[in-house]
Amino acid sequence: MLFLDVISSILLISGVFFGLSGAIGIFKFPDFFTRIHAASITDSIATILIVGGLLLQTSFDLNTVKLIFILVFLMITSPTASHALAKSARHGGLLTMAEAKEKKQEKTG
Amino acid sequence: MYLIKWAILLSMFWLLLSGYIQPLLLSFGAASVAVVLLIIKRMDDIDKEPFQTGTGRQIIQYLPYLTGQIILSSIQVTKLIWRSPVKLEPATAKIKAKDLPRDKRVLYANSITLTPGTLTVDLVDDELTVHALQGSSVDELAEGNMERKIDSIWGNKK
Repeated sequence: MLFLDVISSILLISGVFFGLSGAIGIFKFPDFFTRIHAASITDSIATILIVGGLLLQTSFDLNTVKLIFILVFLMITSPTASHALAKSARHGGLLTMAEAKEKKQEKTG
Repeated sequence: MYLIKWAILLSMFWLLLSGYIQPLLLSFGAASVAVVLLIIKRMDDIDKEPFQTGTGRQIIQYLPYLTGQIILSSIQVTKLIWRSPVKLEPATAKIKAKDLPRDKRVLYANSITLTPGTLTVDLVDDELTVHALQGSSVDELAEGNMERKIDSIWGNKK
């Protein structure tokens, strides 16, 4: 049991680290689209690591199955949410950094 | 008969989620499965595209590869986040996915979004608009490794 506990805490701690990185990235990155990338770290790898760590803490019964279901549903819904955000921003006319720079140059030049 | 497949699948799902085997609760479960089956039947009558339940063999082949990709690109993006000052070269590109069957393009687009550093902004017919944190990850996608992987797992049963 001790062995599993060690692996589980390693997974949990690295999951927390990636979650924190994602949160910091949201503040450090310059525009909307790059911030989505930072948030997707928290969405993907932090979720996998934390749920994986929690899986090892269960006694491998129904709760394990429920955690696996949670992981599967998060893996389907989180990219859908990111995509919906990005697509609506794009269709609402928000420019990416490169496009905004081009437009500025056109105006001045 | 695909409704029977659905019935087995839903009953398993209900049992795994609840874990109760008292007769009263089992009958509630059976009732809810019956209601869902009724809805599936009525909706398939309207849209005429019954959703086939597979065995999930392909997705099990695909998951290890996807997880590997997620870990690799997460480490890349995490490096970008902790580097100071932040140096980014965001790029937008259009990527063709015409080799894939229609329903697998959604899987491809979602896989791209799920790996940090790349994000599918739009999917029109066979053209994906991808936004990436670094230009190099767009080039990697354009090489089409992930597309070929999906094609090699699902492609033969088009």
